[in-house]
Amino acid sequence: MGAIYKKELKSYFTSMIGCVFLAIMLIIVSLYFFIVNMLNMYAEMSTTLSAITFVIVLIMPIITMKTIADENRQKTDQLLFTSPISIPKIIAGKYFALLTLYGIGIMVICTYPLIMNMYGDAQLIQSYSSIAGFFLMGAAYLAIGVFISSLTESQVIAAVISFIVMIFTYLMTSIASLIPTDHRSQWICMAILVVIIAAIAYSMMHNYFVSGALFVIGEAIFAILYFVHPSFYDGLVVSILSWLSVVERYNSFMLGIVDISSLIYYLSVIFLFLFFTVMRIKKKRWS
Amino acid sequence: MIEVRNLVKDYYGHVAVDDLSFTVEPGEIVGFLGPNGAGKSTTMNIITGYISCTSGQAIVNGYDVFDEPEKAKKSIGYLPEQPPIYPDMKVYEYLMFVAELKKVPKKDRAQMINDIMNLTKIADVSEKLIKYLSKGYKQRVGLAGAIVGYPEILILDEPTVGLDPNQIIEIRELIKSLSKKHTILLSSHIMQEVSAVCDKIIIINEGKLIAYDTPANIGRMIEASKELIVTVKGNMTMIQSLVDGMEGIRHVRYEKVSDEEVGMVIKMEENVDIRENLFAVMAKASCPILEMHIHKLTLEEIFLILTHDRDSARKYKEKMTEEVAE
Repeated sequence: MGAIYKKELKSYFTSMIGCVFLAIMLIIVSLYFFIVNMLNMYAEMSTTLSAITFVIVLIMPIITMKTIADENRQKTDQLLFTSPISIPKIIAGKYFALLTLYGIGIMVICTYPLIMNMYGDAQLIQSYSSIAGFFLMGAAYLAIGVFISSLTESQVIAAVISFIVMIFTYLMTSIASLIPTDHRSQWICMAILVVIIAAIAYSMMHNYFVSGALFVIGEAIFAILYFVHPSFYDGLVVSILSWLSVVERYNSFMLGIVDISSLIYYLSVIFLFLFFTVMRIKKKRWS
Repeated sequence: MIEVRNLVKDYYGHVAVDDLSFTVEPGEIVGFLGPNGAGKSTTMNIITGYISCTSGQAIVNGYDVFDEPEKAKKSIGYLPEQPPIYPDMKVYEYLMFVAELKKVPKKDRAQMINDIMNLTKIADVSEKLIKYLSKGYKQRVGLAGAIVGYPEILILDEPTVGLDPNQIIEIRELIKSLSKKHTILLSSHIMQEVSAVCDKIIIINEGKLIAYDTPANIGRMIEASKELIVTVKGNMTMIQSLVDGMEGIRHVRYEKVSDEEVGMVIKMEENVDIRENLFAVMAKASCPILEMHIHKLTLEEIFLILTHDRDSARKYKEKMTEEVAE
């Protein structure tokens, strides 16, 4: 794991991608810091950081796109996966390298509340908890990006898909609020969701029976609920999407609260997507 | 030691490797021969644990590649078809990374890498970025990476492809010298290359094992294929009676070239040369020999016959055994 971690981290700085990433991140954060905290004299960072969550969405694909896609393209995965080191360790090495790069940026941001404190009483707890939330949110996006990178051989495709997925998660709750709230449309949404899940299951397992069963059972449950227990559908889609939303979870951190459920949520997203990545690579070996 | 038992790899209906079994003993160099798409790389990828198989077993150094992958992989050095090198790394840096990946103890790394760079003759480019190297150098960097950690088993997929003739000879010499300490399985689609360096040859086609023998035995097949082709001026029946009376002939096929000329394809018995005798007999009967030459199947031709299509290979084998029985 150490070997991969070192190699990855080094490669971010030999190929400039790491520098470009840090530069964009810090320029935008600093600009907002200057405008919000310095000129408008807000004594905490949460407003600043919540205004720039979109930046994370924009720049994460820059560093995640090549993690695995490039190994696939250069066939260097043949070296990694035939060396005496397990796949989870390889993925962990790569992920921690990404996290370190992102962490360097966060470390710089961590000095900003101290700068504010030099000129008066800054709200340090609130500022640092929102920075911690910002870090966790980015870490979750990194894991999603790594997974998407493992799906393809092309960095460009990986970047575009990551970008679309991240934009979607960013806008998810606002999209959800546009969906009509009557029970029938909510039911249709869930029915479509079941179709998508069944399709994904089929593409992963190539098994008509399992995906078919998933489809029939899923549709049956939602149909029964619609007729027997319609109040189940009250605001269902919005609550599901905002529960799932990576960005929404960040809100509790902005108030200076380290919410355990949000913390667990982010850690699970990270774990889940890294696990998917390992599965994806193992599956590629078997097909 | 590599043991492959009943290996099958099925890509959704396309069988790339079909019930393949063979053993490579310690210290041997075994050549893996087959046309493009015969399943050589697939088999190598399975043995090294890069991909899985549909059924069967691959055992490396006593460890099953699927049950104990880390132990098995530790004893393998693999050079895939396309060397797995990072273009943005320097040669020395790359080999350092490979050494760390293969868990070479820290204190041995620098020494080992220097030795290997001298062995593969890349010491002069050690501080260059890999992307600026020529194809031959890249191949050698890949080979150096496979040797790092001195694994017991080296698996080399077409190690000389893309090299110039001098480099090919160098790499061959290198492989020969490596065989003193390592067991080597190398693949190629060029017969000569394999017969030049290998103790044994495995010929596969369409994922099936066609022949597994020493180059000497395959050479014997060639000896058995030796044919004498003669054209004689004269009468068919007379020539037939003359030739039938001669010794040292296993089989003759006559062919009427024209009214005056008779063609013959003669199979001689082993270690017998009837050419002088034939000349004397024909001269006595005043039937001048117009043409006489020995035709030998080359390794290349045998390879072609064996791998071209299974039907002709089977027929060829039958023909050989029939004639040997005769």
